[in-house]
Amino acid sequence: MEDISFHFREQHWRVSAGKGLYWEEERALIVSDLHLGKSAHFRKAGIAIPGNIVQEDLFCLQQLIVRYNPEKLIIVGDMFHSVANNEVNYFKLWRRQFPQLQFDLITGNHDIMGESVYQDLEIRQYDSLRLHNIHFVHDAADAPPSKAYYVLSGHIHPGVRMNGYGRQSLRLPCFYFGQQYAVLPAFSHFTGMFTIEPQAGEPVFVLAEKKVIKMQ
Amino acid sequence: MQKSKGGKIVREWLAQKGLKPFAFQEDAWEQYLLGHSGLVNAPTGFGKTFSLFLAVVIEWIDREPKFKSKTKNGLQMMWITPLRALAKDIARAMQEALDELDIPWQVGIRSGDTSTAVRAQQKRQMPEILLITPESLHILLAQKEHANVLKNLRSVIVDEWHELLGSKRGVMVELGISRLKGLTELQGRKLQTWGISATIGNLDEALEVLLGKDTWAGVIIRAELNKKVALHSILPDEIEKYPWAGHLGIRLVKKALPVIENSNTTLLFTNTRSQSEIWYHGLLKESPELAGIIALHHGSIDSELRIWVEEALHTGTLKTVVCTSSLDLGVDFRPVDTVIQVGSPKGVARFLQRAGRSGHQPDAVSNIWFLPTHSLELVEAAALKTAMKEGLIESRMPVILAYDVLLQYLMTLGVSDGFDANVIWEEVKGTFCFRELTEDDWQWLLSFLTTGGEALQSYDEFKKLERDENFYICRNRTIAMRHRLHIGTIVSDAMMKVKFISGGYIGVIEESFISRLQPGDAFSLAGRNLEYIMIKDMTALVRKSNSKRSIVPSWMGGRMPLSANLGKMLRRKFQEAIAGNSEELELKVLRPLFELQQQLSYIPAEHELLMEHIQTRDGYHLFVYPFEGRLVHEVMATLLAWRISQRHAITFSIAMNDYGFELLSDQPIPVDETNAKELFSLDNLNIDLQSSVNATEMAKRKFRDIAVIAGLIFTGYPGKSKTNRHLQASSSLIFNVFKDFDPYNLLLRQAFNEAFFYQMEEARLRDMLERINAGDIVIARPERLTPFCFPIKVDSLRESLTSEKLEDRIKKMQLQLEAD
Repeated sequence: MEDISFHFREQHWRVSAGKGLYWEEERALIVSDLHLGKSAHFRKAGIAIPGNIVQEDLFCLQQLIVRYNPEKLIIVGDMFHSVANNEVNYFKLWRRQFPQLQFDLITGNHDIMGESVYQDLEIRQYDSLRLHNIHFVHDAADAPPSKAYYVLSGHIHPGVRMNGYGRQSLRLPCFYFGQQYAVLPAFSHFTGMFTIEPQAGEPVFVLAEKKVIKMQ
Repeated sequence: MQKSKGGKIVREWLAQKGLKPFAFQEDAWEQYLLGHSGLVNAPTGFGKTFSLFLAVVIEWIDREPKFKSKTKNGLQMMWITPLRALAKDIARAMQEALDELDIPWQVGIRSGDTSTAVRAQQKRQMPEILLITPESLHILLAQKEHANVLKNLRSVIVDEWHELLGSKRGVMVELGISRLKGLTELQGRKLQTWGISATIGNLDEALEVLLGKDTWAGVIIRAELNKKVALHSILPDEIEKYPWAGHLGIRLVKKALPVIENSNTTLLFTNTRSQSEIWYHGLLKESPELAGIIALHHGSIDSELRIWVEEALHTGTLKTVVCTSSLDLGVDFRPVDTVIQVGSPKGVARFLQRAGRSGHQPDAVSNIWFLPTHSLELVEAAALKTAMKEGLIESRMPVILAYDVLLQYLMTLGVSDGFDANVIWEEVKGTFCFRELTEDDWQWLLSFLTTGGEALQSYDEFKKLERDENFYICRNRTIAMRHRLHIGTIVSDAMMKVKFISGGYIGVIEESFISRLQPGDAFSLAGRNLEYIMIKDMTALVRKSNSKRSIVPSWMGGRMPLSANLGKMLRRKFQEAIAGNSEELELKVLRPLFELQQQLSYIPAEHELLMEHIQTRDGYHLFVYPFEGRLVHEVMATLLAWRISQRHAITFSIAMNDYGFELLSDQPIPVDETNAKELFSLDNLNIDLQSSVNATEMAKRKFRDIAVIAGLIFTGYPGKSKTNRHLQASSSLIFNVFKDFDPYNLLLRQAFNEAFFYQMEEARLRDMLERINAGDIVIARPERLTPFCFPIKVDSLRESLTSEKLEDRIKKMQLQLEAD
């Protein structure tokens, strides 16, 4: 899985085509919006979404972990989709492969399970988290702008529209590094996309077929 | 028939009213009394309702000695109608006839508007005749013990069958009838099934779809009555100055007014809802004295308001009504004597249907005025005239293998009393839609509902239908309730109610439109200027706006393609126009435009296909004019683009309208006299079509309805939309997930099939390619845009096709940035 090295806000980052962001100084892998348990939630309600999406999602996450060998995994919210179901149990099994890895979850609006469940899964929960000059929140709208820190968030499942000569148009998921805050793409395969319109000069990394491309 | 006591009584009753049955009505009575099933083909206004309704009455008089006193006979006849609005008037007419005949039968209605009290009453005692919509029939089948209320049923009659035939609502009717047949057989009788249809190109097939495996016993009764239609064109004064494209015809509003003034009541048909809003305002602005006697009627307007408009049309208090296909069907509005069609009706059948809304008396002439929205459309008026003269009426293609509707139907049976899969398999196989259904597909469908399409896994919690050997039933109350609320195949965009902040419901509007508005923005709905305030509880709150400028919402859907018949006729008319000896007014008026086309480029003869290479600021254009309708053009364009891109790495964006299509690229398009013909070759057509990337996009669009019908999209409960937020996913997301994780999903296959057969109109495409191969291709290189190409460039839908790597494409593209 290819990545792009990126020096930004005095820190060194690797932007991965695997929808993860690796922070070299902190040895932290950052992902967002895993929505684990989503397909099971649908299936329980009689909506026959394929049941094997969670395996694929977690396999992709596993590949990123193996590749960067991080000390901690920071999830900027919406790690789980809804109430507990059997996919949460599947995650628990999967979690055992990485007993040393620290899981830090910035609680998202979908993370509604009881605290004890997260404790049981060995996940630490935070409303927000500050490391160096980086401030992690789920929804950037909840963090007031500040000179003291830069906000890193998830929540909106960002994508951008690309326009070409001959009126071509494409919509692709992306990493967005704005003047005020950054947004990570949604990690899960079973998530939609919200189209953002960046301003000129703001770095955007577009994800396309196992490639990551820096646009500006 | 001569011996029939009922026949004698009914004839005497008619004679008292000074009426004599039409020959086709007597034929229908006779065939019905013989126990046959079949199809009655008659235009509106000629008593088609009575041909079958009275047959049922006659049979009752013959069968029951105490026909004047016996009450509570249970449901005898079910009358399926596509429109709720139709039901009320038909029920009234039937009840009047029964009362006059002194037969104590009740006529009831069952539709989405029927109150729960009436439903409960019907459950205790069914009326002898029930008028019902296809959706309500299925909702009835979803109720426990429905078999009991249906046990006396003898016949089912489907009104306006031509309207239902080509749609998934038609499939609902097929499945509903298959069950009614099964239930009747349990009572030791055979259900008599009849349809009523206007003239279409494939009446025999319409009969086959209605009767399924019992077609061999069916008869077709033709009324052989011809309605006279007079077509007049509204001509712009100066053809050169009339827009070439995209002006909705509103510039001709002044010319439409005298037509309205000189008529009793006029229906003005537009092709889209937004166009009707614009015309409503346009007419009022030009003629303020119309205030109070002009009304607007389209699918997004509050139903109470629509009913008011319909009633006002009956009583003749309205001078004119601006409407869309929402008034295509329906009972006759006697005061209507004139119809204006704005823009192309896209097909002969639809045009005739609309024309028939005026002049209902059997001998009256239907007057219809054609008002072009751009100059070239005048050719269509000429084409329509000839097509009507030659009786070129379109066929309605029946839907086959609609797995989504079948899944919904099986669930419907599951939430009622459950079903025996062997029994239902036989019934379903007996329908036209599912006669090709395989045993494997059937098993897949059952497992989709029981295990969610996966092999049973220990941690899976899928729940829908429970299985006990061959018996399937839904025991989950939440899922059952949700299913009952979702029965139906009409899928609209996510719609939002629009209400005044002071109270008062106005209509519905696409959520996507509202989401683009800022508070304070003015928009137009139901003929009113409204100011958007906010969204609350899934309702858009508004107040009256005094703003002069308002946005007219663009509603999705409803863009019909040009029919093959009309396309063929159009090509012929272009020939006549060039020949210059046509006496037809429309063609004469268009001469200056044709001369300009000839001067800039070329006008193709009937055996020729014209292509135009034009370079503009946007890039390199290639325009092609097969005149086959936008759907075929979309596929044709994709195919051509794909074949070119097989030889060169090149990316196109594609645009089309009903006359032709455009390929646009950032590099010169390598098509010339040496290679043009092979690009239209029939060789490898199927392979090339399947490899063209657009199939996926088309299928994705088709999948939207499929996902809703099959119950994969959770649209929430009425008034309780906030809960269950965690069950929301868009159809395109589900499509992608199926494609990646469950590629053999039947619903996915259905989406691709629908794209191929209905979207791509494969058969029509082949005909076109054969025509091109037998003829000549002319390539012109005009210096500037031509009258032919302009409408394509200006108002068209766009797609793209590429053979370049995604990565390379992206590198050439620009990010769409926030507007300054």
